[in-house]
Amino acid sequence: MNRRYETVYMFDSALEEPAITEKLNRFHALLTKDGKGTLTNVSHWGKRTLAFKIKKKDTAYYVVAEFSAEGELLPEYERAVKLDEGVLRYMCVEAAREQPKPVVATAVAPEEEELEEEEA
Amino acid sequence: MRRPAKTCPVCESGARVLDYKDDRTLSRFLTERGKILPSRLSGMCARHQRQLATAIKRARQLALLPYIKGHTA
Repeated sequence: MNRRYETVYMFDSALEEPAITEKLNRFHALLTKDGKGTLTNVSHWGKRTLAFKIKKKDTAYYVVAEFSAEGELLPEYERAVKLDEGVLRYMCVEAAREQPKPVVATAVAPEEEELEEEEA
Repeated sequence: MRRPAKTCPVCESGARVLDYKDDRTLSRFLTERGKILPSRLSGMCARHQRQLATAIKRARQLALLPYIKGHTA
């Protein structure tokens, strides 16, 4: 079963942008192989100042990738990301799904409002 | 006497989920030292307070928010 995940990468800001894209392509190839996963969105935040130093560095190049994939692909992918020296830190979490808005029955809604007014 | 019910700032804004990548919003719910505000002060409902705690902890791992504000190693 496919789940939606998102990964935030923090690359060493000394890396050039082509090098970063090359690394991203390599990571994402692990996820999309055999058609078991699809990449939905990749957004580059660019260089940002860190709230604290990581590996003696003050800035990092942030990239957020959203994808859906089978869970069994993740260990291999995460191992590849961990081994990469250019990645200061990364975090892969299950993407928050936008919860459906509660459906308010039209007939009930006005009554509820009246109740609230009485309480106030 | 009943105190006027505090309203949850997240429910009020219409959002249902808190995003750990949105450090500007999250930083509103930190003390001046960078601790997570208790729901007593943030006024959040229980569900959103739980989401807030997770979101802030994730943002800290990504160095979007500090663990301790004003701390220089």
